Amino acid sequence: SMAVDMRLPTVKKTMTLSAPAVYRKDLVVPGDVITSDTGFMRGHGTYVDDDKLTASVAGKVQRVDKLICVRPLKTRFNGEVGDVVVGRITEVQQKRWKVDTNSRLDSVLLLSSVNLPGGELRRRSAEDELTMRKYIQEGDLISAEVQSVFSDGALSLHTRSLKYGKLGQGVLVQISPSLIKRQKTHFHNLPCGASIILGNNGFVWLYPTLGQQDEEAGGFYTSLEPVSLPDREVISRLRNCLLALAAQKVLLYDTSVLYCYESSLQHQVKDILKPEVMEEIVMLTQQKLLAQEG
Amino acid sequence: MAGIELLSDQGYRLDGRKATELRKVQARLGVFAQADGSAYLEQGNTKVLAVVYGPHEMRGSRSRTLHDRAVINCQYSMATFSTAERKRRPHGDRKSTEMSLHLKQTFEAAVMTQLFPRSQIDIYVKILQSDGGNYSVCVNAATLAVIDAGIPMRDYVCACTVGFVDETPLADLCYAEESGGVSSLALALLPRGGQIALVQMDARLHQDHLEALIEAATTACKGVSKVLDEVVRQHLQEASVLTGED
Amino acid sequence: MLKSKTFVKKTRSGGVMKVVREHYLRDDIWCGSETCTECKQDSPVLQKDVCVESNLCSYPHYLVPDTNVVLHQIDVLENPVIRNVIILQTVLQEVRHRSAPVHKRLKDIIHEKEKHFYTFTNEHHRETFIERQPGESANDRNDRAIRVAVKWYSKHLKTLESGPDGLKVVLLTNDLGNKQKAEENGMVAFKFEEYIKSLLANPELVDLLALSNDDKVTAFTDRNFIHILVLFPEHLPLSRIQVGIKSGSYLQGTFRASRDNYLEATVFVQGDGEDSTEVLIQGLQNLNRAVHQDVVAVQLLPRNQWLAPSSVVLQDDGVAKDDDVEEDEEEKLRLSAAEAARKPTGKVVGIIKRNWRPFCGMLNVSQIKESTRHLFTPADRRVPRIRIETRQASTLAGQRIMVAIDGWPKNSRYPNGHFVRSLGGAGEKETEQEVLLLEHDVPHQAFSQAVLSFLPKMPWAITPEDMAKREDLRHLTVCSVDPPGCTDIDDALHCRELENGNFEVGVHIADVSHFIRPGNALDKEAANRGTTVYLCGKRIDMVPELLSSNLCSLRSNVERLAFSCIWEINHKAEILKTRFTKSVINSKASLTYAEAQMRIDDTNKTDDITQSLRGLNKLAKILKRQRIENGALTLSSLEVRFHMDSETHDPIDLQTKELMETNSMVEEFMLLANISVAQKIYDEFSECALLRKHPAPPPSNYDVLIKAAKSKNVEIHVDSAKALADSLDGAKVESFSYFNTLLRILATRCMMQAVYFCSGMDSDFHHYGLASPIYTHFTSPIRRYSDIIVHRLLAVAIGADSTYPDLMDKHKQSALCNNLNYRHKMAQYAQRASVTFHTQLFFKSRGMLNEEGFVLFVRKNAIIVLIPKFGLEGTVFFDTKDKVSPSLVYDEEGPTLKVEQHTFHIFDRVKVTIGLDDSNIQHQKIRMALTEPSIPGVSVPAPEAEPPTKKQKLDR
Repeated sequence: SMAVDMRLPTVKKTMTLSAPAVYRKDLVVPGDVITSDTGFMRGHGTYVDDDKLTASVAGKVQRVDKLICVRPLKTRFNGEVGDVVVGRITEVQQKRWKVDTNSRLDSVLLLSSVNLPGGELRRRSAEDELTMRKYIQEGDLISAEVQSVFSDGALSLHTRSLKYGKLGQGVLVQISPSLIKRQKTHFHNLPCGASIILGNNGFVWLYPTLGQQDEEAGGFYTSLEPVSLPDREVISRLRNCLLALAAQKVLLYDTSVLYCYESSLQHQVKDILKPEVMEEIVMLTQQKLLAQEG
Repeated sequence: MAGIELLSDQGYRLDGRKATELRKVQARLGVFAQADGSAYLEQGNTKVLAVVYGPHEMRGSRSRTLHDRAVINCQYSMATFSTAERKRRPHGDRKSTEMSLHLKQTFEAAVMTQLFPRSQIDIYVKILQSDGGNYSVCVNAATLAVIDAGIPMRDYVCACTVGFVDETPLADLCYAEESGGVSSLALALLPRGGQIALVQMDARLHQDHLEALIEAATTACKGVSKVLDEVVRQHLQEASVLTGED
Repeated sequence: MLKSKTFVKKTRSGGVMKVVREHYLRDDIWCGSETCTECKQDSPVLQKDVCVESNLCSYPHYLVPDTNVVLHQIDVLENPVIRNVIILQTVLQEVRHRSAPVHKRLKDIIHEKEKHFYTFTNEHHRETFIERQPGESANDRNDRAIRVAVKWYSKHLKTLESGPDGLKVVLLTNDLGNKQKAEENGMVAFKFEEYIKSLLANPELVDLLALSNDDKVTAFTDRNFIHILVLFPEHLPLSRIQVGIKSGSYLQGTFRASRDNYLEATVFVQGDGEDSTEVLIQGLQNLNRAVHQDVVAVQLLPRNQWLAPSSVVLQDDGVAKDDDVEEDEEEKLRLSAAEAARKPTGKVVGIIKRNWRPFCGMLNVSQIKESTRHLFTPADRRVPRIRIETRQASTLAGQRIMVAIDGWPKNSRYPNGHFVRSLGGAGEKETEQEVLLLEHDVPHQAFSQAVLSFLPKMPWAITPEDMAKREDLRHLTVCSVDPPGCTDIDDALHCRELENGNFEVGVHIADVSHFIRPGNALDKEAANRGTTVYLCGKRIDMVPELLSSNLCSLRSNVERLAFSCIWEINHKAEILKTRFTKSVINSKASLTYAEAQMRIDDTNKTDDITQSLRGLNKLAKILKRQRIENGALTLSSLEVRFHMDSETHDPIDLQTKELMETNSMVEEFMLLANISVAQKIYDEFSECALLRKHPAPPPSNYDVLIKAAKSKNVEIHVDSAKALADSLDGAKVESFSYFNTLLRILATRCMMQAVYFCSGMDSDFHHYGLASPIYTHFTSPIRRYSDIIVHRLLAVAIGADSTYPDLMDKHKQSALCNNLNYRHKMAQYAQRASVTFHTQLFFKSRGMLNEEGFVLFVRKNAIIVLIPKFGLEGTVFFDTKDKVSPSLVYDEEGPTLKVEQHTFHIFDRVKVTIGLDDSNIQHQKIRMALTEPSIPGVSVPAPEAEPPTKKQKLDR
């Protein structure tokens, strides 16, 4: 027989409107006037209305010299050169792929920005243009780096490094880009037996740690070998940990993910997303992080 | 028997409110993880879910692409169980299409679409329970969802449906009042500047009454905006405490 | 505000629909008592010092009646003695559901400051709202809600420190269960009768009590009735009636009792569109307690049981009859049914809506001396007698009184009711006038303070602002022409020759809409009254006298505001230009028709006024000719005029009104103004113009007229108004000069009623009588509300005033038209009734007269005779109850009636005696008897000449 775990929707803490809370001054909502001082420059999330610098999004005010921005809690990915992204191919066009990277516009991966099999110096022929789909087609996931930003904000990507390229078997987790902590590297082989790509764009890729990279494949190799059950369980556990951390708005980086993974071990994978378990695990994680920061 | 008495001599309405009082408003931001922004809002017994995707690459026909600003795409629908009698078509009927159009016009007035050329913003609203003021409640919920998505707006857009009974404007009509033969007017307002985003009225109303009705609607919208403001600030506060910044 | 409310859902299920409504409970609903310091109320309604002398409760107290008490005892609650009453919202809502008239009356009481009635919104009060419990009926829940509210008040008032000692609330209920439960909970509760009887200082209240249910039972178990007789079949419940109506087994219609036969009625069933049917009901059992004007459900009887309406006159004489006798009478009805004349016949199976109002009538004092139960006979013969209980029978005998029906149990021969008020001695002029106003639903109370508050403050003068907005026409030679004694002059005229040789003619109408602004109490009152009602020697004003006889009346030599319609007209009376303007005029003369006529005829006079009149007269004649050529009808009805004694106001002479040229002169220009205005407002407001139409009568209406004319070998064509007008003009018989007038009188009776309507709701605008494609009323705003609306429309059309919502709403406009039509019809009936009453008074003083008359109609057993001298119409019956009937042969074709040897035709010249029959004080009537031709055994001898004393008085 199958045990079914069912529960009614939990009563979330209702907002009591009566509480005359004193709100933090640095938190603003659309329409709030940040300053009437005309000496400031307006940045993202603000506009000037009647000589007053006004917020256009709900979030935190950030001031860098004379520049004032409001950073919203959640937003689409604002890519910068050098950012690591995980994305999905949406379209194959002439000499380029379009990639959904959770940005406001789809990113572009030019044929000239990928390493084709045969080494870095291989010339791109007309035939390559016709057989682009052989390498990467619609629906495929890739990892890449932001090469440049176009004037309309769209990103141009490249995969000209061995660590980038088409992704094989694994699990994609989408979370808010603001929860990804910027680090030197976003590729980690976690000690628990799986690997993770923490895309700056909020797309996180979990996959089994591979033994050897086949250089000749040029980043287009995908192993179709069945993944072992323990590996799959590790990946599943990591996925749920990521979701738990995101739900509690904890920044994601290798340490936080690892600590969370460790904290979750006393629970079954499927139980992790139960609210009370989630809360407990994340609390333990945060304690460990604090202890480590010490 | 005469029809129902919408406003008693003592000044109370069917549900016990006074003429200018709003229904109880409860709301929550970020109810969906998958969407860019989402909100759930109850205004009395009218319950609405709003979800926002975008701004993102234009999907579907590229011909709608605007090169100087984002396209706002709205879809209004009503759950089949939202009304007293089960609905056949949740969306796509004439009324829903019209409502979708009104929502689109409303948000084009508030969202800073010029920041996102060639992209698209989807706003989906679904009525889960319908008890009057559907348009207004949708606007209020969608405002919260847009804010949740971090999409820049000039100001909140707040809407309220008002009606006119016995020379008295009634704020925030419930279904019993809307169906009780009141000429009703829906107004969407940018409360801070007092700019009107949309006024919609199907019934006949003498122009002498229009000013009073708009006035009442404006006051009601400002009332709604206060509530929404509380909700947003509370959400902001809680979220920033969680992220542990500062 | 919002946060202070907790929030409860109320669910109402029915079928598969589930209605969920919010129900907010509040903390800011106050108790309404002056003694209360806790509640933050602005102007408490309930007094601090409550002084009612009751031997049941010696302490000061507020009353809380339950729903049934309000519904049944509203007459008592209206009494000024009853004050400081708390009306719970629960009660108010239930009353609203169950009876609209009582609800209206209750609201009126609440609005009256002196009454100190406070409405407590208990259903939204946090502490007094209760939810219906499982298994609890809605009624029980409401009863409990009332008790909870009473309990709350008791506690609330008790905790007050400042209040007088022992201020209590008293629950008044006739429901024993409710009372018992209340008492168990420590509340004070009384039966309503019990409480009213305890008010020692005011014994008169007891008579106002309506009989409650258990009283009715005892009424029939006492010594008069040993066993309870069930006289009538049970009424079906509403639910079954609705099912029956849907399935077509029952019909819904308005019950109309017969005036002449108390055992007969018709039910008017409104069908789809035009087709509607009448169902005949005969016999007490089948009538089944329906009262005139009730909305009932009827079941048709099988075709073989259908009957014909009887032509027998049967009056319920009210003496307790044996059932056998009644059965005999019913038998008589059945026998009289002729096979051919059978009509759909049915029986009443249930009542959908009672339409009971208080009825005027008189008391038949019971034979038993000590009895407190008496029968009451309403003035309206269609209403059954009503059994009432009163201790003042001896006082009320001989008075006109009002009685309300409380109910009609199935074991009671008559409905039960209670005394409402006395109108005064029967036969007295004041009383009778009151009765006829009440019976015709003419609002005639003095204007309320609220209404009067909207009158202009005196002294009133035209302000410079008024002057600036108006055209100054004070220099024009304007004059008015009216009947003698007219104080509400709403029209004035002028006419002058222009330099180009054309005439400028102006019709100036009192600018009433300047004084009556839309939507205020004054306006609402006028809209409700609809028209001024002219009775003999009395006028019931539509607007207060200050306006009707002073500020709006266009009297001579004072400056008045007017709404003018000014034409440029050439010598052929063709209109070259029309314009409308608000103006200020100064009438130079207020003339009577006769005075105006004299000026015109007096060739020595050449002053401006006379010149103006002559111009008008000349143009009017041409206009009239043109109108008649277009097919307008000149009809005739004899209007009578009483000469009143200046002291007693009794009529001392009776004359038919004489028409002069000047009458038609004024009329002609009024018609012209009305038509011009109608066109203008219709052009401007095609959807909401208030117009007046006169539909063409169906051809069958003319049958009587054609037959009557044929008997004198005159042919009448009725294909069009023009044909009718022409054939009426040509209808002349030698040596019978009155023939034409008689024909016109008959023609008048064939016509339809002219009605007001809203142009957006109708497509047929034609006015048949005036042969005009469009028409309205503009010229008498002082006495007709329709004209005020037309003034407002016209003012908007010329930019002199602004609109307001109701003016532009065709549905509201249409509803207003319905009221105006109803009021006009009732005013006409009231006027006729007043003339009839005064005619009776006149003949009472004159004794028996012998006059010449003409046969107007011939009936089966009577002829109807018109006396031209008095404009009086009467019936000469040939079959009298106490005498042996002469041989009567009726021929429908003629129609003729052969009485013994003499045959009567229409238009025959006869002589009759006229006298007053006052054997029935409620229904006095003029009785006529034939003197010439003399038919043995039928005619009576002519009376002797009238006493000379009366004659002298007349000559004075």
